[in-house]
Amino acid sequence: MEELLEIGKKAINHAKELGTDEAEIFLYGQNLTSVKFASGIFASRGGAVKGIKGAFVRMAEPWIKKKGLPMITSGIKAGVGVRAVIKKAIGFASVSSLEENKVLAAVEEATKIARIRPPDPNWAYLPEAKEPKGRSGIFDKRISELGVEEILDLCADCCVTMGDHDKKITQAIAMLSAAHGSFAVVNTNGISVSDHGTTFVAYFGAKAKSGSEEVSSSDFLSCRAFTENLQSTALNTSKRAIECFGKRSLHEKYVGPVLFENMSWSELFSRIFTYGISASNVQENRSVYKGKIGERVANEAVSIVDDGTMPEGFGTAKIDDEGFPKKKTAIIEKGVLVDILYDNYAAKRDKCESTGNASRQGWVAPPYANQPVIKPSNLMLIPCKGKLEELVSEMKDGVLLKGSLIGAHHSNAMTGDFSVTAENAFRIEDGEVKYPLKACTVAGNLYTALGSVKAIGNDVRDFGFLGNTICPSLVIDKIVVSA
Amino acid sequence: MSSHVEELMDKAIWHGLKIGASFVEAKSEDAITRRIEAVNKEIRTVSEIHNIGIGVRVFYNKGNGFSFSNILDQENIANAVETAMKIAKASTKKTLLKLKLATVKPVTNKQVTNVSKHPRDVSLDEKKDLCLRQCKVAMGKSKLIANVTSMFAEYHGTIHYSNSEGTRVSYEPLLIGLGVSCVAKKGETIVDARDRHGGSVGLNTFEEEMHTPEKMAENAADWAIEKLKAKAAPAGKFESFIDPRLAGVLAHESFGHLSEADGVIIGMTPLAGKIGQKLGTEMVTIIDEGLPRKGGYNIYFDDEGVPCDRVEILKKGTLNSYLHSRETAHRLKMKPTGNARSQDYSFEPIVRMRNTYFDVGDWKSEEALDELEEGIYAIDTAGGQVEATGTFLFKAVRGYWVEKGEIKYPLRDVALTGNILEFLKNVVAVCNDLEISSTPFGGCGKMEQRALVGSGGPHIKVRDVLFGGVR
Repeated sequence: MEELLEIGKKAINHAKELGTDEAEIFLYGQNLTSVKFASGIFASRGGAVKGIKGAFVRMAEPWIKKKGLPMITSGIKAGVGVRAVIKKAIGFASVSSLEENKVLAAVEEATKIARIRPPDPNWAYLPEAKEPKGRSGIFDKRISELGVEEILDLCADCCVTMGDHDKKITQAIAMLSAAHGSFAVVNTNGISVSDHGTTFVAYFGAKAKSGSEEVSSSDFLSCRAFTENLQSTALNTSKRAIECFGKRSLHEKYVGPVLFENMSWSELFSRIFTYGISASNVQENRSVYKGKIGERVANEAVSIVDDGTMPEGFGTAKIDDEGFPKKKTAIIEKGVLVDILYDNYAAKRDKCESTGNASRQGWVAPPYANQPVIKPSNLMLIPCKGKLEELVSEMKDGVLLKGSLIGAHHSNAMTGDFSVTAENAFRIEDGEVKYPLKACTVAGNLYTALGSVKAIGNDVRDFGFLGNTICPSLVIDKIVVSA
Repeated sequence: MSSHVEELMDKAIWHGLKIGASFVEAKSEDAITRRIEAVNKEIRTVSEIHNIGIGVRVFYNKGNGFSFSNILDQENIANAVETAMKIAKASTKKTLLKLKLATVKPVTNKQVTNVSKHPRDVSLDEKKDLCLRQCKVAMGKSKLIANVTSMFAEYHGTIHYSNSEGTRVSYEPLLIGLGVSCVAKKGETIVDARDRHGGSVGLNTFEEEMHTPEKMAENAADWAIEKLKAKAAPAGKFESFIDPRLAGVLAHESFGHLSEADGVIIGMTPLAGKIGQKLGTEMVTIIDEGLPRKGGYNIYFDDEGVPCDRVEILKKGTLNSYLHSRETAHRLKMKPTGNARSQDYSFEPIVRMRNTYFDVGDWKSEEALDELEEGIYAIDTAGGQVEATGTFLFKAVRGYWVEKGEIKYPLRDVALTGNILEFLKNVVAVCNDLEISSTPFGGCGKMEQRALVGSGGPHIKVRDVLFGGVR
């Protein structure tokens, strides 16, 4: 980390020599090992999944009998992202290298870009140095020392566990990745900070077949320290698939209370709610929460907080990706909207302090190649009471949704409308899960759903990998389920 | 003379052999991607990503392993080789199949890209102006134009590949693109249209009459305004005239992917076991190649160092070849075709397309259209859905109703569905106006890797295409 800061300081000096008004260097290095292990007798499958506008996405799964096929990648990714500001115009350039001459060249490039861009009237200045109060990112030595062989063994064991659960399981996939790394931010406004951490992410998928009926299920874990829960999560994935045999059709459209398992809810919540509470979306008139601070936006039982200092949180770190301290921010208190999330740019525009929510995490490019945007650190819907079973027992008539919801990412985050397909859905009658349902469509609006929350469970899980949300299972009224 | 990177790669290969690998290969990349975006006369985004690194793959016993580093010193590259070796050893224990590569003749070759106005020699200012010129023309075209977005992107650099068999090649990839999209609005009706141009060429391409920023902007604006009065496309089966861009997407998305040999091996494509079988009419030939005569994205070698040969996947209607990596070629006892590609140095090569297109036929496009009694002229696509069975749904960007060879009126919501294997049997005319297009904006996604590709064809005429039939 000292090394990163040193390169950062040199780059800052170079930016000053080039005549920039301000400059910021984000430095990053990560060592990631990822193993995907697939086993079982595979039905031929794959091809393409639904394309979003203008994009085609393809997936292919290997077809292997008995043993399996490991797909492993491991390597180091390091680089810097530079923001240079000249007369309120911002230039950004990045390079996948920590070599001094390459880093300095990126500084020059960012400066050139700043010179051709128009000034941004909303730009104030880069964040100022502030002493972080929160904890350092969690660094688990065990994860940083995990070897390829060990991860592969863990993966293969999980596949065996999934396959052994039931003879009807035809396919099991386990994916594990372990990463350790550090990052630093240095700017012309006095910031010179760094942090480090480890992450451990697992994904499990199971398919099963009986007669002509096929069922499937998936689950995952995201944590900062090594966990012994791998096997149990893998096993649950198979159990959940098997539970779905004997599916019946929903004869008529159902409108009423729906119990969302924590994972199902988290997929919609992270996609939609996160968008609504971003200050830049509020400022640009893209959020339903514009002008709503201080107003009731949810049922009184609902409290939501983002806490970047939470012990064990997937998104916990001392500082955000602009070097500003992470903190705890109450978003909804007993149904009332009290605050939204800020990075430096949006905060200065609203004349308030950043909430430390600048993030460079992206799906495709490594963090140093992205400019910061507003994202939650650990966005938690505060749990109340009752496990999933207890929530079921309190429902006279309803539908239970488990696992992943297909199409959650196509939801309209601006309006909150969602329409998803549930493959692990069940009918609840008289406080009991009666039978699984054939794939059904679940539609509603997430923002209005927060006003029709009927019950909140206590079974919170950290879905860090899904967009830094931590959610319990909950019951929401007036949801439409159709065959 | 070897560069610092080439020396590091050589050392990596020696190190791999020394620790017991049966085969070692290394790929290095030093490339820049720049993007400029302007919205309504204002430059919105300018970004630059400089990507540098080395990837190594080793074979040991039954397995192989891949690792990479973008810290380019001897210690880190040696670590990457050792990590790859660890992976190869670990996977050997878990794998049933022995992974082997088909034999190829070692090649040494250095290709240099010389074009006038190479993007690395052109100022950022001039590139920015391309976008602003487009915005100005499109905005000025009509009050109905509500929004204009212009994008410029460039990708170029140097790729080296070496392996322990003696292959040592390098080339300088280059791809540029300029695109514009216009949103037109009248009352409640909102429509959009776009135009774009790109390829492995210098910026002087935007000085050609057909491809000036102004011409593209006018096209996009005109097409958007025209769409405001478009009628809904009729549903049903019609004879259809398909433009080169839509033909290219069909060739790539719905046919090309089915011919990838990794899919053939796992039996998930309907083309498995069909070499030599008649799949289309005599006039249909579908090509995938690295260096098309005209247009597209130039790729000299794949990421296993194999020259990017011309592959006739479908030759006069008969399935002639699959697309191979050295691994799939060995498994199927066929010849490698130079289709092993990786997104960048940090990914392992997998079977990918290069430039995929319908080859030219004898028809003049005016004559083919003249003979269209009644049907739909479908142009370009911005997305759709394809399945491993060959079933597709494409939404054309534009469409026209045609009667007696005459374009009558514009259509909206032109969606074509069908199965490519049926489609190929219904091709009744292939024209001689081949166009292959490629831009750095999108690319093809497969197994979490993106690849830059080209696609195209001439105009083609097809019987019985189902329109408006959303399944």
